[in-house]
Amino acid sequence: MLDPVTLEVIRNTLPAIANEMAADLQRTSYNMMIYEVCDFCTTLTDAGGRLISQNVGGVSHFVADLGVIIEDIVAREGPDGFASDDVFITNHQRVAGQHLNNVVVYMPFVFRGRLMGFAMTRAHWIDVGGMSTGLGATPAVSDPWFEGLQIDQMRIYEAGKLNKTLEKMIRDNIRYPESSIGDMRAQIAACRLAIRRLEELVERYSPEVVEASIGTIFRETETRCRNIVRTIPNGVYEAESFYDDDTVTTEPVRIHARVTVADGEMTIDLSGCSGQRVGGLNSRTLAGTRVAYKALTEPAAPVNEGSFAALRSVIPEGNIMMARYPAPMGGWSLIVPTVVDTIFKALAPAIPDRIPAAHHGLLGGSIVFLGRDPKSGANFVLQSLEGGGWGGRPNGDGMSGAVSVCQGNVKNSPIETMEIKTPVLVEERALRPDSGGPGRYRGGLGIDVRVRNLVEGKWNLARPRRRKCPPWGLDQGKAGGGADYLLQLPDQLEGAPIDQVMRTVPPRSVVTIRTGAGGGWGDPYEREAEAVLEDVREGLVSVERAKLDYGVVIEPQTLEIDAAKTRALRSRRAEAAE
Amino acid sequence: MLFVAVDIGGTFTDLVGFDDADGRLYQAKRLTTPDNLVRGVLNCIARSGMDIGVITKLIHGSTVAINTLIERKGARTALLVTKGTRDVYAIGRGNRPEAYNLFFERTAPLVPRRAIYEVDERLLAGGAVHKEIDRGEVAAIADRINAEGYESVAVCFLHSFSNTAHERAAGEALRGRLNGAYVSLSHEIMREYREYERISTTSVNAYIGPKVSGYVGTLESSLNDHGFQGELSIMQSNGGVMSPEIAARRPVMMMESGPVGGIIAGAEIARMLGYANVISFDMGGTTAKASLVRDSVAAMAEGYYVGGYESGCPVMIPVVDVIEVGAGGGSIAWIDEVGALKVGPRSAGSDPGPICYGSGGTQPTITDANVSLGRIGAGEFLGGEMKLDAEAATRGINKAVAGPIGLAPADAARAIVDIAVAKMSLAVRQVSVEKGYDPRDFAMVASGGAGPLHAVAIARDLRIPLVVIPAFPSHFSAMGMLMADERHDAVQTYPAALAMLDFADLLRAVDELEAELLRMCRAEGAGVQIQLDLRYVGQEFSLSIPVSREQLRKADCDGIRAAFDHLHEQRYAHSASDEPVEMINIRMVASARRTKPAMPAPAAAEPKPRFRQAVMGPGAPVQCPVYERETLPAGYVIEGPAMIQEYGTTTVFFKGDRCEVAGGGALLIHVGS
Repeated sequence: MLDPVTLEVIRNTLPAIANEMAADLQRTSYNMMIYEVCDFCTTLTDAGGRLISQNVGGVSHFVADLGVIIEDIVAREGPDGFASDDVFITNHQRVAGQHLNNVVVYMPFVFRGRLMGFAMTRAHWIDVGGMSTGLGATPAVSDPWFEGLQIDQMRIYEAGKLNKTLEKMIRDNIRYPESSIGDMRAQIAACRLAIRRLEELVERYSPEVVEASIGTIFRETETRCRNIVRTIPNGVYEAESFYDDDTVTTEPVRIHARVTVADGEMTIDLSGCSGQRVGGLNSRTLAGTRVAYKALTEPAAPVNEGSFAALRSVIPEGNIMMARYPAPMGGWSLIVPTVVDTIFKALAPAIPDRIPAAHHGLLGGSIVFLGRDPKSGANFVLQSLEGGGWGGRPNGDGMSGAVSVCQGNVKNSPIETMEIKTPVLVEERALRPDSGGPGRYRGGLGIDVRVRNLVEGKWNLARPRRRKCPPWGLDQGKAGGGADYLLQLPDQLEGAPIDQVMRTVPPRSVVTIRTGAGGGWGDPYEREAEAVLEDVREGLVSVERAKLDYGVVIEPQTLEIDAAKTRALRSRRAEAAE
Repeated sequence: MLFVAVDIGGTFTDLVGFDDADGRLYQAKRLTTPDNLVRGVLNCIARSGMDIGVITKLIHGSTVAINTLIERKGARTALLVTKGTRDVYAIGRGNRPEAYNLFFERTAPLVPRRAIYEVDERLLAGGAVHKEIDRGEVAAIADRINAEGYESVAVCFLHSFSNTAHERAAGEALRGRLNGAYVSLSHEIMREYREYERISTTSVNAYIGPKVSGYVGTLESSLNDHGFQGELSIMQSNGGVMSPEIAARRPVMMMESGPVGGIIAGAEIARMLGYANVISFDMGGTTAKASLVRDSVAAMAEGYYVGGYESGCPVMIPVVDVIEVGAGGGSIAWIDEVGALKVGPRSAGSDPGPICYGSGGTQPTITDANVSLGRIGAGEFLGGEMKLDAEAATRGINKAVAGPIGLAPADAARAIVDIAVAKMSLAVRQVSVEKGYDPRDFAMVASGGAGPLHAVAIARDLRIPLVVIPAFPSHFSAMGMLMADERHDAVQTYPAALAMLDFADLLRAVDELEAELLRMCRAEGAGVQIQLDLRYVGQEFSLSIPVSREQLRKADCDGIRAAFDHLHEQRYAHSASDEPVEMINIRMVASARRTKPAMPAPAAAEPKPRFRQAVMGPGAPVQCPVYERETLPAGYVIEGPAMIQEYGTTTVFFKGDRCEVAGGGALLIHVGS
């Protein structure tokens, strides 16, 4: 039997190693997608690719998604095919299943000649060649060759020796080699750090004790998750939703979740989702089911293989989230937050006190503007991800201006940073009054960011695709939504909606990035009149909408409630309902 | 000269005084009086038996700033911002650090949306004026602020760190018109980019300003009324002291004045013993704190989040970098639902406290485990003032821990202590190993009521060769304040490519900053240290590189660059000497060394250990020698296992460890492998 002290020490140390890797990578990376957006993960796996630990925070749709890469490489190389100081690099969609910018760099952990595991990082490079840089150009990408450089499980270092040919190939085929090779260096350093820490741990406690502890940690985590799922009534729960289209064809993308709960087991079946598409929304990912399950079970605990042992994810080959290579994957993660919300929606009748109304469900408001600064002659890329509204909750209003369920610790870029680094003027970053879905608990507000470009450049302005199925309310709450891009050219008086990528615009054009709002929870007529008044006084809800949506009449001059009129209005609707 | 420090903590107000003429030491400990902190200070002085009129220097640390913020008892505050940025404070950075928590909440702004006024002014990056400020507009806003009755006003405009003119104009217009409201301008607090963090920091300063400046004023006048004629200084989060006038203007600097005292004392005591690299470790009733001192300088963080990173309130001022874990004497040991033994973070606090206190506690704590193991003498706690119930502690451990997981009672108690030690070791790793420092090059200075009990075990875990237990380890924060220098920090955002740096212009900016800082220093002979925050082009996080004025005069690009590459390599194990480097901030510290009291030598007594049965390692309990600390003469050597008892704590060390009493009374424990 393991002694409890050793077990506890190892339990605390493994996540600490992954977090230390993350801190190292984040602080030395060269692009804001890593240091600001935290679009990366750092991971330890065992020799079979089972997840030992992963960094906390960052982008949650990377949760426990690197095991398939290890299964693939071990099948190819055999367990004896790895040397210390080998460094592998891959972004190939055959297995990695995401857009090519997400480059996986990893190293085997070989202890006294035996393969014991892997230290891995996946991080968003700012560019991997192809026809588009960075975010938001999905429609332009119709296959992996358009998307960029494909690297299929190659050794960039062989037993510590750099493969200069491969490095030059990479360097010559990407737009910002200094940035991306710098990021690769940071990724390798993070892996080396983890290997050092693992060596210390195994030397101290022996490989057998460490492996036995990991097994125990997996089992205990699984048990805790099962116990929580047991509190959900057994049953089969279903819900569906849509993503407007796949950006190439106009056919809506069906999203459907069938959740079966049986005595602590949960099966999430996504077979009802759309098949793979010609537009680049495809992926190979379990993120949809796993993010939802994690939020429902142990949201605050570190993640390991045991976290998902009692979850069965059913996604058949050819599904939009299990697409066969070479399907375009430029916008691989765009639908995932909506998938997660749809799983929650299915479970809402079973556990109404644990499920908020739908959130904006979008991986942005992304701000993407690129060009060359005529003053300095340097290329620039402006990027920021803006949050939107979250759904009203069974116990309170939704958050405003917050990133999606898949983005965790992703931060927007400060206005001052954007203006120091790129030739733009950010004229506004503001909450959008009246955008929150009405409800007893109001949905959070979407935001408007207005950016004036001071030089010519290209904007990515692919319309957010949740117009036809806006973020829903729950239990009589009303929908939120309203995400859009507006473009105002210098000779125009106001902005107009636009849906275009790599749109070249002249200097002094103004783009408004408009993020969606959350749905409301519960009947808005049951919202306390005082809470509606407070929203009006804070300028979050207008006097008009207070009356129309909430049945609360507020005197516009004094900003006081007209109690008699409010009572009359609210009771009229109650009578009409009877 | 009589030096006195008074430290108001959550539970106790501590006083330490030292008269370096006659070597006399004064101590007092009184319960903190939250409703009237000033009275608490005066009570403490009265209790110590010293004459207030002969105090030369009085240094004061107080929780008034942090409590005003945490309890949200500050002023009704208004905020002026650049047009278009009214909602920046509410939106923050848009992040959700608790990624899977569907019920996550970010910190609520201290200023409601309706009290945030937009001013139609605009600076561009670099500070050029895009839209001039209209003082008439600000005056009109001042009238509205008067009408609404706000007590305090914060001002934070975009790019004000590059050009302070608009904020200064707004400040003048406001001050000329407001009915006595407190005014705080962002560039007076910090000159660093990132508007959300600057808005938050400035708003905190404005929010706590009226109360804290009132407190400092009352303290000063009450002291004077009671005959105080010395110099009053206020402790800051950066480990230095400031004048009461500065404290009234920049109260946000007082936020973490408590914990830093101990770190400063650790650095100073180790320096006197000849150790420049120190890990300071402080363990009290609810938490343990670790921080790093290198070349006798405490590691600083650029800011922190009051209330924790996830949902806390950003305060971006230099603060001594402290890692805190929920492991203190009162931390509770428990078995989770799958049978794993856990320690903390829940604490029994002081009410009901550990089981052994006999005040109704039923859950076993780290203190109970130590009592059960015989490492704390049940009859000798706080000099025998408080009797502990060792049997009840053991029974409680059996019931809650040993029974459920099938361990022998002594093994269970040892497991609780060992798990706590492992948790604290991780915290110490975070300040050392994880920052690229090898603990083998450091000495650990341990303080707090529970620090000396556990420090040697932690040191062994991390291969730290030496543990120092200073004199008065349970009054260490106040001790540290006696040793603090006067210090002021400034940061100025100054973006530029290193290779094309205009050193003449940089020197002008440095001179300006220096003049500003030196104006804040009271002491003669203040000097400044300059650092440049550098990074590879494309990176966001920077490293602070110390530079000399001489280097700036000579435009020593290469030397600065080499120092950056070297530190990057050391910190992150990679660097890129062929890639372009840019600077983002100038950092400056002005400090004036203050006279420090010399500690008294230990008395030359004859140590006579008693023996107590205690578990000091695997296997059966042993008869372990227990020494009274005040009987130990300088030069005395004790081989472990042994315990050294004093008022407020016990030092524990084991077989293979060797303790030696230093000339100044500190215990030096050489940790066996």
